[in-house]
Amino acid sequence: MSTAGAIRAAGTAGRALPPPGLPRLIPPGAPLHLGEHIQRYGPVPFRDAAGRGGRYRAADLIAEAERAGLTGRGGAGFPTGRKMRTVAERGRRGGALRGQPGTVVVANGAESEPASAKDRLLLTRAPHLVLDGIALAAEAVGATRGYLSVHEGQDELALQLTAMIGERDRYDQNRVPIRVVAVPGGYVASQETAVISQLNGGAPKPAFVPPRPFEKGAHGRPTLVQNVETLAHLALIARFGADWFRALGPAPWPPRGAAAGSALITVSGAVTRPGVYEIALGMPVGELIQRAGGPSEPPQAVLAGGYFGGWLPFFPALDVPLSDAGLRAVGAALGPGVLIVLPESACGLAETAWIAGYLAGQSAGQCGPCVNGLPALAGMIARLAFGRPDRQTYDWAQDLLGLVARRGACHLPDGTAAFVASSLRTFADELRAHSTAGPCARVRRRPVLPAPGHSWDDLR
Amino acid sequence: MCAELLPELIAEDPWGYPIVAAAPVPDELVPLARRAVAACPTLALLLADAD
Amino acid sequence: MSGLTAALPGQLPPGAIVVTSSTPLWYTTRATGLVALVLLTLSMAFGLLSSVRYQRPAWPRFVTIGLHRNTTLLAVAFTIVHVITTAADSFVSIPLQDSVIPFISSYRTLWVGLGAIAFDLMLALSVTSLLRTRMSYRSWRLVHWTAYLCWPVAVLHGLGTGTDTPVRWVLGLTVACVAAVAALIGWRLAYGWPANAGARLAGAVALVLALIAGGAWLAAGPLQPGWAKRAGSPTHLTTGSGTPTPASTTGGTR
Repeated sequence: MSTAGAIRAAGTAGRALPPPGLPRLIPPGAPLHLGEHIQRYGPVPFRDAAGRGGRYRAADLIAEAERAGLTGRGGAGFPTGRKMRTVAERGRRGGALRGQPGTVVVANGAESEPASAKDRLLLTRAPHLVLDGIALAAEAVGATRGYLSVHEGQDELALQLTAMIGERDRYDQNRVPIRVVAVPGGYVASQETAVISQLNGGAPKPAFVPPRPFEKGAHGRPTLVQNVETLAHLALIARFGADWFRALGPAPWPPRGAAAGSALITVSGAVTRPGVYEIALGMPVGELIQRAGGPSEPPQAVLAGGYFGGWLPFFPALDVPLSDAGLRAVGAALGPGVLIVLPESACGLAETAWIAGYLAGQSAGQCGPCVNGLPALAGMIARLAFGRPDRQTYDWAQDLLGLVARRGACHLPDGTAAFVASSLRTFADELRAHSTAGPCARVRRRPVLPAPGHSWDDLR
Repeated sequence: MCAELLPELIAEDPWGYPIVAAAPVPDELVPLARRAVAACPTLALLLADAD
Repeated sequence: MSGLTAALPGQLPPGAIVVTSSTPLWYTTRATGLVALVLLTLSMAFGLLSSVRYQRPAWPRFVTIGLHRNTTLLAVAFTIVHVITTAADSFVSIPLQDSVIPFISSYRTLWVGLGAIAFDLMLALSVTSLLRTRMSYRSWRLVHWTAYLCWPVAVLHGLGTGTDTPVRWVLGLTVACVAAVAALIGWRLAYGWPANAGARLAGAVALVLALIAGGAWLAAGPLQPGWAKRAGSPTHLTTGSGTPTPASTTGGTR
């Protein structure tokens, strides 16, 4: 039916049924256009939306998000409700800036983690959920405009999204002007302060905090930056409530404060069916790998959390629950939902050296400890992987790990240090083997881990 | 330079950048800390109130 | 200002600088000008030393910065006195505004104007540095780069306006100041090589050309007779070839 027809029908229809179980975010089949989207989920449940027939509508979305325990899906895992509340308060308190009130909402879909594909998928397969989320968040925090950041080089997607935003404007489904922005591909360019810096006309490099975005972000106003997946979850919470959201999670209806809900995980590496999967948080790693078809070759280890995450030996990892708390307890992380299976045919130390070199090259060049420390660290790991590791090199590497952590404007140094530290733990046997017999033959194979724009020559 | 002015709380890494102790600044060192912050050539240090 | 005639017995050699009456104001102007130049040179020197991160066990970096700051403030103080005595000196009319607005003076317009420029820059440098923590680092740094303009302009002002330029020890002192700063700029250009090699080489070439041009100008200009007239001293002050005007009570060549 036409979009206008769908809206009229939704006004008289009864309560829309929430998706039972999974999937929640990405419906099977072709992406829904606006009419179909409204037919399935109902129009955006703004506070003042005429809702006849008992349509669910969150009077206070922020409280509902807090109750739901929704946490950011971009990697940092910060409680979303709390972030929204702070931005809303700052917006009210700050009063009019340059005569114009209002805060800003930024939906971050730039996804610069090379092994993550979920944001791109969400924007292609369920864009209206994300746009609903932006509109609802904007209403909740008093925003006067919104931005949607996408990775550069996706002009077609950007055009499609802009057209969809225009269509939604016609049916008053946005309430704020939303602009699509392309962010360059550097690893740190999609960090929240980097995106804001770009919106303010500067370089897409992380900015020094204070002030944090919720205090002073885009155009000097309190800014809410959320990953696109987080906003999609928010759009569903607004319609179906916190209890529905928490029905999936580490345990059904986990205690208050514990993370809950579903999440998109990108599984890649040596699995039969790599791709993006939506899981209930808390699902064991092994179960997800099974869903992805199981290992495609004899597995050695998994990297959980992307390049700021950690390596885990394969078989012990299978029982670890996929949640931030569960993974941090074993020295890894959930990050932006990335899981990579490393086959036996690769060398964990070589892969680590490869990525450490890539990350060192991704430095924004703003902070001495990062600019100096990361290349030195990458050099040490390269020596451990490709040379004959000795005690001195190992000790220097350990020293560097301590020297770079938490000394930059962003988390590139700490994330890299955590990643490298986990490799020294997980691949300790390889280290010993390399130090007696030199590098194994496996160091010469093509790297498993993606590093766009990086080449072996950079390591020499 | 800050490491020279406030050696009690600031050490220097191999590249000359400051490593700042995580502990709060004791009251008697606050004036020296202010001086160290003002002396930084790139104004990279910040003295903040612990809320 | 009329004083005792200084007419020497016999002819005055051409272009001779005739010592006038001992006007305290004029002496103070010359003395404070020279001292300010030396202090400004020291300030440049400590600034350059700081930029190459000079450090010894007995000479921490904060000593260099502290000395840089203090010599600059002293230089400003002496320059202010220099400006005040110049304005107060009624022999030549160089009111206060000529010291801050360049090229409006009727006396040696260009060379006094350079002094005004140098003074303005000194004030800008000092004020921005005193307020460094309250402004953006980039703005402060941008203004601070003008020190590389301020100092040579001050030197040229001294050589062009100063009546003591041909005096041996004054000239020697000025040359020593230039040599010191040039050497330190050389050190600064070399520090961190080969990063930004193009800029460094350009700077080195500029430095050498500036020294050669400056030396040539000095030899052909202030050190040659008749400079006062060529520099723009009003004609009623210059005695042309140096012959004393009959029964004049002017205070010699200025």
